[in-house]
Amino acid sequence: MTLQQERPRTGPLSEPERHYLSKPDRVREDRRFVTGKGRYVADLIRPDTLHVALVASPHPHARIGAIDTSAALQVPGVVAVLTGDELAAETEPLRQYLDVPEVQWWPLAVGSTRYAGEWVAAVVADSRAVAEDGAELVVVDYEPLPFVIDPEVAAGKDSPLVHPTHGTNVMADRHFAWGDVAGNRALADRTTTVRTRWNRNSTVPLETFGVIAAWDPHRELLDVWASIQMPQFPEQVAGSLRIPTNQVRVHFDVDVGGSYGVKRGIKHAVLAGFLARRLGRTVALIEDRSENMHGGDFHGPDRIFEVELAYTDKGDITHIRIDVLDDEGAYPGRSPLQLAKPIGAIVGPYRITSAEYHAKAVVTNKTGQVAVRGFGQSPTNYAIEAAVDAVARDLGMDRIELRRRNFIKRDEFPFRIPSGTEYDSGDYETVLEKGIAAADLAALIAERDELRGKGYLAGIGVASCLEPGGGNAIFENIMNPKNDKTTFPEACRIRVDGEGAVTAVISISSAGQAHETMVATLVGEELGISPDRIAVVRADSLSGFPSQSPVGSRMTIVLGQAIHGAAGELKNKLRIIGAHQLGLPVDEVDYRDGAVVSGSNPDVRLSWGELVAIAHRKQHLMPPGMQPGLEMVHVAHTPRSGTLTSPEGTVQLYPTYSFELHLVLAAVDPGTAKVELKRYVVAHDCGTVINPDVVRGMVYGGTAHGIGVALYEQFAFSPEGQPLTSSFMDYLLPSSHEVPRIVDVEHCTPSPYTSHGQKGAGEAGYMGAPAAVASAVNDALNGVGAAPLHSLPIKPSDIWSALRAAEQESS
Amino acid sequence: MKPVDFELHRPETLAEALELLAEHGADGKVLAGGQSLIPLLNFRLARPDHVIDLGRIGALRAIRRNTDALVIGAMVTYHQAERSAAVAETAPLVSAALPHVAHQGIRARGTIGGSVAHGDPAAELPAVFSALDATMVAVSRRGTREIAARDFFLANLVTALEEDELLAEIRVAPVPARTGAAFNEVGRRHGDFALAGAGAQLTLTDDATVSSARIALTGVSAKPFRATEAENTLVGQRVDERLWRRAADVVRRDVDPAADLHATADYRRDVAGTIVERALAAAAARALGNRTGSMEATG
Ligand SMILES: Cc1cc2nc3c(=O)[nH]c(=O)nc-3n(C[C@H](O)[C@H](O)[C@H](O)COP(=O)(O)OP(=O)(O)OC[C@H]3O[C@@H](n4cnc5c(N)ncnc54)[C@H](O)[C@@H]3O)c2cc1C
Repeated sequence: MTLQQERPRTGPLSEPERHYLSKPDRVREDRRFVTGKGRYVADLIRPDTLHVALVASPHPHARIGAIDTSAALQVPGVVAVLTGDELAAETEPLRQYLDVPEVQWWPLAVGSTRYAGEWVAAVVADSRAVAEDGAELVVVDYEPLPFVIDPEVAAGKDSPLVHPTHGTNVMADRHFAWGDVAGNRALADRTTTVRTRWNRNSTVPLETFGVIAAWDPHRELLDVWASIQMPQFPEQVAGSLRIPTNQVRVHFDVDVGGSYGVKRGIKHAVLAGFLARRLGRTVALIEDRSENMHGGDFHGPDRIFEVELAYTDKGDITHIRIDVLDDEGAYPGRSPLQLAKPIGAIVGPYRITSAEYHAKAVVTNKTGQVAVRGFGQSPTNYAIEAAVDAVARDLGMDRIELRRRNFIKRDEFPFRIPSGTEYDSGDYETVLEKGIAAADLAALIAERDELRGKGYLAGIGVASCLEPGGGNAIFENIMNPKNDKTTFPEACRIRVDGEGAVTAVISISSAGQAHETMVATLVGEELGISPDRIAVVRADSLSGFPSQSPVGSRMTIVLGQAIHGAAGELKNKLRIIGAHQLGLPVDEVDYRDGAVVSGSNPDVRLSWGELVAIAHRKQHLMPPGMQPGLEMVHVAHTPRSGTLTSPEGTVQLYPTYSFELHLVLAAVDPGTAKVELKRYVVAHDCGTVINPDVVRGMVYGGTAHGIGVALYEQFAFSPEGQPLTSSFMDYLLPSSHEVPRIVDVEHCTPSPYTSHGQKGAGEAGYMGAPAAVASAVNDALNGVGAAPLHSLPIKPSDIWSALRAAEQESS
Repeated sequence: MKPVDFELHRPETLAEALELLAEHGADGKVLAGGQSLIPLLNFRLARPDHVIDLGRIGALRAIRRNTDALVIGAMVTYHQAERSAAVAETAPLVSAALPHVAHQGIRARGTIGGSVAHGDPAAELPAVFSALDATMVAVSRRGTREIAARDFFLANLVTALEEDELLAEIRVAPVPARTGAAFNEVGRRHGDFALAGAGAQLTLTDDATVSSARIALTGVSAKPFRATEAENTLVGQRVDERLWRRAADVVRRDVDPAADLHATADYRRDVAGTIVERALAAAAARALGNRTGSMEATG
């Protein structure tokens, strides 16, 4: 790993000298995680807690008849059995983000079950083992119904319907056209269309989802500890349970053992909360791996793309058309909103001035889908990059040259793409050059050719992709115009206590993103105090402030903005106190490293201790009318948010755009068709880096995740609608054996729109790795005249079949 | 994923274990390294009332060399066997196969006897022991039975062991001079059960003619698979690349792999041939370099 950190040349940073930002420093969370002392939800279970096990549907679609719970209730230790009908009678359905009132969803199936694995009843017992004993004895009468597994069949007219009262399986069907489509098509000499298949995978966390709920009838308070990463979680749980939001207290001081989008858990929390209230006991629902993989509704995008590029003979891309069909599984929930994200990066890093986009979401009788790392951007990047490679093949042009030719140039930012979003900043050519240098491209090509000479198939993969960062909620408005939400705020409280110690309070839980390090570093930088001396704690949902959750690569950007705001207000108050005490006008004093100093004479100053003492204890020295104490809460909008989608369908989606360039060398054994990744280089630019190790960790982990998508991971279903990947025997996560050493080179193009020039990094690596690895395999296939593969994951038998097909064609 | 309630027994001696098996064999399960049984219990696919842990019986953990056989105790772990010079010298095909079994962590606990008693056609050792004509020694309170490998593996996960019987040890005849072995497999990831695996052991005469050939295949049949026909095409022939290719084609003809999520049947069939060819070439190269047999080497 080489980390090249460059000082920003541009950007809003007024302080030329940074104390702590971008400097190598320890990641404070690492100590507790590495020593096994994290506090996850299952660590919080107390002895008197009841445990839930679930009865899952064996059918992809079936009408539910009688449910006989008597045998289960006979098992010693079983306390209760709850069915979907009982639950639905006393709760509101779970929220749908699309305007689909006929699609009703509860934690337990009501009326019929719509996928194999869907939860039909819940058994509550003294222990999880006894709850499972009970679950085995619940007898459900099922009447199997026609079902649909294939999204293209589901979109057709004659398909069985997943939600018959909705009248169709199509949940969303949106057409957009931006820019001079006809004119740009006319400029092109040629077109290439590539159909790509992104099969179902997900982020698969080490810790499954878990929730503990406790109801205190005397205080009228539902306490919830959960493994969550979900905006509006408390509101939705309260809404479904029909209790006021101020009776639900969600604790955020719970470590989350992995998520990257999937730890939503509303249905789990509603179920546990309902049981806790009904039984008057503390109830824990900790998914086991099977429940997580089948019934947790944690699958990711499942898409069929068609990307058409129009271009000149010289390789200038003039127009892009993207059609996508997304299989949401049985209950669409929040997942179709992921179809809106590509609108904010519809042309990738390329200077293409018109675009068409057709996004369709269908339901099928499969496990529900949820937001996954990048909110659908990585699949889209893969589809675009596969098409760009196809253009290079068509023109006989070098793939890197084609990209360089079409890149938006560094002096064209901010760059407005046809869908109306402005990319904030970037320097794609420089990042490309850094990647080429780090990979030693000439040597890489020589190594590929040497491998080919030895009888291997070998290929170089390239991908240049964007990571939109700083998610706001505008995709809700794009996909459902009735939803006119335009802000998605974050907040931070900075408090300086009577002894002068600084504490930052946030109200989110974290799933390994090192927010405590980020917050301490930014607060330290703002106040000129060592981050080591800044405590970071987490409020709960009732004592905290408006906060969403760490989704959409947004915390460093939006929470960073809130920190900047709170620190600014704090420094301002200190300056007022200092100026008053020094007898100077406020605009003649500065705040510098904990002290207030006269602008003209640095020896005239008030120290931190003196300022704190006045603010907390000396009303007689305070300016008249000032509140005592040093407590600042700042609630920040997402930068560049605040406007609705225009009637023409143009919109500012994300405030910042990170960029990454992948170069990969793959060797394929011609006898077994197995892929080995020999070299892997990522050149990455996410603007100002807060902590280099955290960014590097994201790049490594995200790249590993993307390698998994490209070669290994799939949630598959049989034609009978049964899940085929029911454990880690079949859902294949890449291990250290499969992931090669990753070389990461960093570049810094600050964003002009964020407090410190920072951009998103939580999806780094993952944005480009699937595209890059597929590109490498296809270059290898191309080397022997075989057709490219356009479906992920690419298995050895897929490559083998492509090679056999090429042999047959040539003979 | 919690097992059904069961009673755990932890006998200290073989006699005690056999006593317990006689009593509970019908609704009991023997626990060795637990690398297959514990997941089966957790998935509730196995639902025994009694689990009899062999972990405390030291007598089952030994590797011995008799004059006519290498004797591997059932509770010898993969890891132990992997590091055993006796296994390397007398049963080079077993040695060659061991690193392909799962991951190091699993090899530290999983046992040779557990693998054999489990009888998985995708597992390396059942196929290897089949190809080596190993003898399985089963004991019960009723006495001792010696079962030839070909009579031991009956079907997918079904062996000739009776309910009250334990697998006590596995006996393998030591290899003569000019013998070489190799194992090769292809899986989707390192450590996975292979899509197809192939082991070959060749013994050559002084003029490089194949005098004995043994070919084991995993993952291509409902039972641990020995490629007898392919072996027959080799015996009496001079070492030659084309010979390996011919044997590979016979293997492709004879195997009957199934398709699943991870690979098509056609792929498995073809790749089985490819890795047999590679294993044969590597085994022959080793045999040519190995002038002394195991018995001489151990003197
Ligand atoms: C992630 C993973 C990957 C794996 N990959 C591979 C692989 O690539 N190749 C491979 O071969 N295996 C693989 N395995 C399985 C592993 O090799 C098992 O250890 C082995 O199959 C069983 O050995 P054990 O000692 O763990 O037996 P256990 O799990 O304890 O027992 C297995 C079965 O054998 C019975 N049994 C055990 N010992 C005796 C005995 N002495 N007498 C009678 N019955 C007995 C038990 O009752 C049980 O039915 C893998 C396992 C895991 C978890």
